[in-house]
Amino acid sequence: MSDILEVEAVSKSFGGVRAVDGVNFRIAAPGVYGLIGPNGAGKTTLFDIICGRQFADSGSIRVAGRRIDRLRVHQRTRLGLARTFQECRVLQEETCLDNVLFAAQDKRLGREMLRTFARHTAPPRAVMAEAARLLDLVNLWRSRAEPAGNLSYGQRRLLEIVCSLIAQPRLLLLDEPASGINPTLLNMLRDFLQRMFAERQIVLVIVEHNMEFIMSLASHIVVMHQGRVLEQGPPAAIAASRRVIEAYLG
Amino acid sequence: MRPRAGAVPLATGILFAAAVYLSPVLFAGSPYVLFLLTQTLCFAIIAIGLNLLLGYTGLVSLGHMGFAGIGAYVTALLMKYGMASFVPALAAGTLAAGIVGILAGMPCLRLRSHFFIIVTLAVGMMLFLFFNNLDWLTGGAAGLPGVPRPRPFDLGFTLVDPRRPVGFYLLAATLFLVVFVFQYALVRSDFGRSLAAIRQDETLAASRGVDVFAHKLTVFALSAAIAGLGGALQVLFLRAAAPQSFGFAEDINLVLIVIVGGAGSLFGPCLGALLFVALPEALRIADVFRMVLFGAALLALALFAPRGLWGLAVAAIGKLRFGKSAAAHVGHS
Repeated sequence: MSDILEVEAVSKSFGGVRAVDGVNFRIAAPGVYGLIGPNGAGKTTLFDIICGRQFADSGSIRVAGRRIDRLRVHQRTRLGLARTFQECRVLQEETCLDNVLFAAQDKRLGREMLRTFARHTAPPRAVMAEAARLLDLVNLWRSRAEPAGNLSYGQRRLLEIVCSLIAQPRLLLLDEPASGINPTLLNMLRDFLQRMFAERQIVLVIVEHNMEFIMSLASHIVVMHQGRVLEQGPPAAIAASRRVIEAYLG
Repeated sequence: MRPRAGAVPLATGILFAAAVYLSPVLFAGSPYVLFLLTQTLCFAIIAIGLNLLLGYTGLVSLGHMGFAGIGAYVTALLMKYGMASFVPALAAGTLAAGIVGILAGMPCLRLRSHFFIIVTLAVGMMLFLFFNNLDWLTGGAAGLPGVPRPRPFDLGFTLVDPRRPVGFYLLAATLFLVVFVFQYALVRSDFGRSLAAIRQDETLAASRGVDVFAHKLTVFALSAAIAGLGGALQVLFLRAAAPQSFGFAEDINLVLIVIVGGAGSLFGPCLGALLFVALPEALRIADVFRMVLFGAALLALALFAPRGLWGLAVAAIGKLRFGKSAAAHVGHS
């Protein structure tokens, strides 16, 4: 069986800066993976390349054996790739519930058009129930009718993650989910992610600067430095690695 | 199930349709008012077309009167030379505008924000040049006179004669309501939700699985086709096609109609069309100052009603009904 995610010799330059420089790694089994490294190590650029927001100069990316590095963003999403953004993106004008239901909606243009003039345009009951359950888990169900723009920053982050999960991805990339979140919400976020992983057995890749958070959550850590993979392994080994301490942990 | 945002109660809809249909009874004594109301309906159809793009998808097109012109000239030529009767001619005009919309949209929609606006402006100007200079086909700057009105329809219980003012008004009102219902169904559908997502955050929409380009192209084509329908109706009403009706000045007017009326609301463009056709006429009493007054009214609107007149009205009603707290959330449908 092929690996779930396979990143092979991916490079990307901006002018003279090699933001990502021949990165290789593979994820063979479901799990929570951490991607850490100092600022400017190329983590977000690598995320963008995997999700299709930017294209790599060279190298290949495979999801379940299928090459995706030339596909457009929405095509990758439809193959089961989901992400959250470092700057946290939700549909500000829509309510919490509408944000989640929109994320669950089948967005193929032809299907959408066919449904436009059908009588029953309400979302299926199972989707509704799942949306309610997930929102309740992050304590947002009571704010379901609130426009997402009115939520606090931390709540918007949680909403963004719920939205990504409801589309049933097999691979979810989270870009600094813990940044700007207060400690109470952070504990809720950790519990929520652990629970989702336990339920769904998918791949979660998390870019994070909060070491305590990522070390307690991830089963495997990849460390990037200056566009390259410096080290990878279980959290304990990473925390003890001299190279990592020199480059990043200090 | 949950009520979706912007739902229009059936009673309101019926009241609105009745008001549209019964206007000729109220103004039967004044052919001039009826003339203005018919003009308003034609403009409102074009404005609804642009509203799908500008209000609901967040794309500003400055060339939409060009698409209206395509619909107008195709229908006018087919009718004038007796190549098609009313319904096929109107359908052909609408379809032609939609097809030109796809052809123009394919290159334009690759661009973003202000680059897109500039290119739509260029498309509008190019189309205007065709209308103005293809003398052998469009009659050039002199226009295309002698476009016949549609023949009377026999509805069984009564005869609607579009060659008479009331008859044409009823025809225009019917088409307007069809387009209005189409707009309503579209923006509340899943397709409409994808458009709203594109308007709010294109990057997010794509990462949620929306094929942004295909969605934009589809709505661009629909929007152009509706504009074409409105343009065709206008030409049939005036019995002549003139290139100036589809020039740059009209493009600006159209964008103002949508924005002043209330972009992204169902009734906004209709209100805007009414205002833009009726208000300059009403201000005629002020003679040379009328455009100055009109400009001042626009400025006041931009300052005090960023969601347009319709947004202002909805917020005011909300305030009366629910007190101040509720009003903050009203205004987007």
